[in-house]
Amino acid sequence: MAADTNSPADPPNPEPALDIDRHLKYWKMCLQSPLPHHYLSNEGNRTALAYFIINSIVILTPNSNNNTESPLITPQDRRKLRQWVLSHQHPGGGFSPSSSLVFPLQGYEQWGPETGSQNAESAGLANAPGTLFALQLLALLADKDDPDGAFNGVDRVQTLRWLRRLQREDGSFGEVLRLLPGQGWFIGGGYDMRYCYIAASIRWMLRGDVKEGEPGWVEDFDTEKLANYILSSQTYDGGFAGSSQEEPHAGYAYCAISALSLLDRPLTTTTTNPPPTSPLLSRIRDLPALTHWLTSRQFIYLTPSPPSPTDSDPSPDDNDETEDVNFLLPSLSSLSLSPPSSQHPLVASNGRTNKVADTCYTWWVLAALSNLSQLPLFGDWLPARRFLLEKMAHRIGGFSKYPGGPPDVYHSCFGLTVMSLMGEPGLRKLDGGLAVPEETVKVIERARGKLLKKARTEGKGREVVVLGVMMRGARPGWLGAVGVN
Amino acid sequence: MPPKGKAAQKPKAGSSAAATKSPAATPAAPLSTKSTKATPDQQQPQSSTVAEKSKHNFTLCHPFEDLTGKNSLSALPTQADQLVWFASRLVTRLPVRSIGAKGQKDLWKTVNDHSLPPRGFNIRKHQKRQQQHKTADSRGRDIGEYSTKEWELRQEKRVTLSCLQLQSQRFRELRDRQKRGFVDSQTGDTVLVTDSEYLEEKQRRREMDRLKKELYGTQGMGRQGKLALDPEWDDVVPIVVEDPENALAAIAYSPDYAEAMSYLRAVMNSKEYSPRCLKLTEYIINLNPAHYTVWLFRAANIFALKLPILDEITWLNQIALENLKNYQIWHHRHLLVENYYPSISSDPAALSAFAASEREFLTQILAEDTKNYHVWSYRSWLVGKLGTWFNPEELKSTEDLIDQDVRNNSAWSHRFYLVFSDPENCTPGDKYAATEADPKVPGQIVDREVGYAEGKIRLAPQNQSGWNYLRGVLVKGGRELKSVQSFAEEFVMGLGEEGEGGEGEGTGEEVKSSHALDLLAEIYKEQGEKQKADLCLRRLVEKWDRIRGGYWQWRRDGLGLGEVAA
Repeated sequence: MAADTNSPADPPNPEPALDIDRHLKYWKMCLQSPLPHHYLSNEGNRTALAYFIINSIVILTPNSNNNTESPLITPQDRRKLRQWVLSHQHPGGGFSPSSSLVFPLQGYEQWGPETGSQNAESAGLANAPGTLFALQLLALLADKDDPDGAFNGVDRVQTLRWLRRLQREDGSFGEVLRLLPGQGWFIGGGYDMRYCYIAASIRWMLRGDVKEGEPGWVEDFDTEKLANYILSSQTYDGGFAGSSQEEPHAGYAYCAISALSLLDRPLTTTTTNPPPTSPLLSRIRDLPALTHWLTSRQFIYLTPSPPSPTDSDPSPDDNDETEDVNFLLPSLSSLSLSPPSSQHPLVASNGRTNKVADTCYTWWVLAALSNLSQLPLFGDWLPARRFLLEKMAHRIGGFSKYPGGPPDVYHSCFGLTVMSLMGEPGLRKLDGGLAVPEETVKVIERARGKLLKKARTEGKGREVVVLGVMMRGARPGWLGAVGVN
Repeated sequence: MPPKGKAAQKPKAGSSAAATKSPAATPAAPLSTKSTKATPDQQQPQSSTVAEKSKHNFTLCHPFEDLTGKNSLSALPTQADQLVWFASRLVTRLPVRSIGAKGQKDLWKTVNDHSLPPRGFNIRKHQKRQQQHKTADSRGRDIGEYSTKEWELRQEKRVTLSCLQLQSQRFRELRDRQKRGFVDSQTGDTVLVTDSEYLEEKQRRREMDRLKKELYGTQGMGRQGKLALDPEWDDVVPIVVEDPENALAAIAYSPDYAEAMSYLRAVMNSKEYSPRCLKLTEYIINLNPAHYTVWLFRAANIFALKLPILDEITWLNQIALENLKNYQIWHHRHLLVENYYPSISSDPAALSAFAASEREFLTQILAEDTKNYHVWSYRSWLVGKLGTWFNPEELKSTEDLIDQDVRNNSAWSHRFYLVFSDPENCTPGDKYAATEADPKVPGQIVDREVGYAEGKIRLAPQNQSGWNYLRGVLVKGGRELKSVQSFAEEFVMGLGEEGEGGEGEGTGEEVKSSHALDLLAEIYKEQGEKQKADLCLRRLVEKWDRIRGGYWQWRRDGLGLGEVAA
């Protein structure tokens, strides 16, 4: 239960505090013991659950950098956990999202990474979200003494090649490749703005500035097509959906905006705050409508009270909506009689017009505005913070999906990310585009740099091999056997 | 072996030192014969366990064994005792034939004289029994502690299990022969395993599993899952998921799920497409409907086996109704319809029949959850695929949902799509964005939609869905926003005016919808009436929508009124 003290509005309450120890306790439990059975539906997205856990712990332990380790994850743990994450990498590029999709090595024998041959069905074991979360985890779990080596072991070239194959004809992205009998390769995963965001994010984390012809160069996916696909998915009321023909959704709006900004995000993040607005964002067809739609996601949360006949609610429909008990429209006539709500309003956010409050939408909406460099339009942060801490924070730690609900790793993580984005003291500051702490973004940049450097030196070695082969006039058979292609 | 009759004789009272040395030996029962024949005075104490009985038996056969722990004859008082002891050693440990005819005769005489029961002669069996008695049953109780009755029951189960194992072995051999195309030499028919034999084997294995669990528990012998017990899966070696020591986000799922996944991994790895794979996906989907890989593998099986897609859609309906929040189900449906569509695309009757059956199902599922995002996404895609924008039923069923709940924004969105993506009424393709005017939209369509939105706004003035729709229609239809100025003004009276009592600015105003103020601010701005626009926005900041104060202030700043805005 949330701290459900229905305290009177006056005298003004002190603002509630974020109980960092309590949240850490919750995450410690998630880290150290198996998640309960009701997480089964996420079994196919285990690396996502892992990301929620590790990301939250890193956000909650800002002082663990500079060799003073987080008490929850020792340096030794970090190495082992990184090994575990790397064990999900697929030989054909990308990462499997779950250990149940990691096969024993002989399962990949017939895998033809280049050709996508008929026997390469195991390609379907890597997926886009799995890859994003694996890369984020590697950076979050980086060795403090060797942040540059965070992506050691990541097959950058193969992953980028595989990513390119996930793009559809219309520019959008799927999450997975699968050979369907009699139909050839199928890009699975529905038309979903999340995969567009994930593709842009993986590309930013791995691709770098290698020019065509240089060692380590991989053909890029069609960024213009992706941008156009995203831009065409704005809906009549200004939001974003999987396509312009569907209902807009705050999560998709975040993904659309963040994907656009990641497509032309500089490779290194400077200290300028806020970062320069992406030129792609200015191509959003109706930017004023988008900000209007995003800010409209906020509403005053009224604690549901037992129905009483004296409640003068002029709108008859409200009473029918039993499902929407946590979404009460403030009646305008009552507002005109008394000062709006109370001295200490609680402000929640929903994901769609006329839908219910949910912890994660405060994050999606606020982070979307932040990525548009329009954070001030969210207005006063305190009422939203109050809502999260008074209604959504759970007494065992973590945040719930709805007021009074049990905490879960997804909402608990996004409750923290949004508080961090708003500069909550005691938390690491978050990067709104990549949804990891700013320090972790630095790690990603350095780790990418090391992968590129390695590609360049290896490229030089390969040139020597090519020269040798030319001089000899033939390619010796053993060259392949020792792993030189 | 001595004649049984003699062994069954009652030991001669007082003739054996064993009787005094070992209290457990009195009264000695000839256990080699059926205990039912025992007279009351020969019966074991009721509380005695099989271990005790066994020990008793052994002692009968090995007099002085306790005394001569170190095989030292000197511990025995008399020569007669020594002889008995020696005889018992010989008879239990040596091949008796090797000692010659005379020796055998003497030996058996001594044995008979002392009524050493033959049951205990086999020292190896005795040791084995002792081992058995020390093992625990499924409840952790030593078998040795069993009463005779319990022990007999257990033996019965073991025999039953052995019989079942034999039958099961026979089934496997039969199936093997079928695989190799064996011909029965007597009948001349090829060997065939019938369905009922499969079924029998399946039941048999469940029974075997139950017995094994009862006899040996779930430890050690290993728990046999549903699939391991199913003869259909005998040839598949499951690939078990094993987590290393440091793994994140392990989920405490059931052994059934773990087993099913390990079989799924095996068949995915061997690229098997078969009816049993299809059944396996159904089994897993019932345990966890959210695993996208399972759904894709299911689709692959359907295509590989060329199964009728409509059957799959029918099956899917029930699954969808049982799992309203599931997302993968709708991708699966999408993929199925993509593949089904070419077979009916040139047959208008089949197309409209399919569209109708889909609409019926979608109406049914939306009745359960009227704002289900996945259902609505699928629905809008389906309308485009089948080209049913103009279908009156489609519009009607959307209208019904808005009539039920005027705030159902999903239904409003779908209506916008139906009306403004219909190639009859608008420019096809994505030439014009959703937020742009399309010159092809006929005026009467715009009028109709404006009227519809206005009617619904009057029902619920503070419902944002209606206002968003109204504005969207005006933009799409290329109308100026001011065409609804008087409508919007219906909801705002005396803005900023002082009430009759003179309590200050705004006390005399009446606002029925903050969204009307929002739209009016835009309309006034369009017409250059910046002061009026600013008043609307200012009253939103100050009173009617304070929580969005930051946003309204930003709009005020955009008016360019400078110091007035401050």
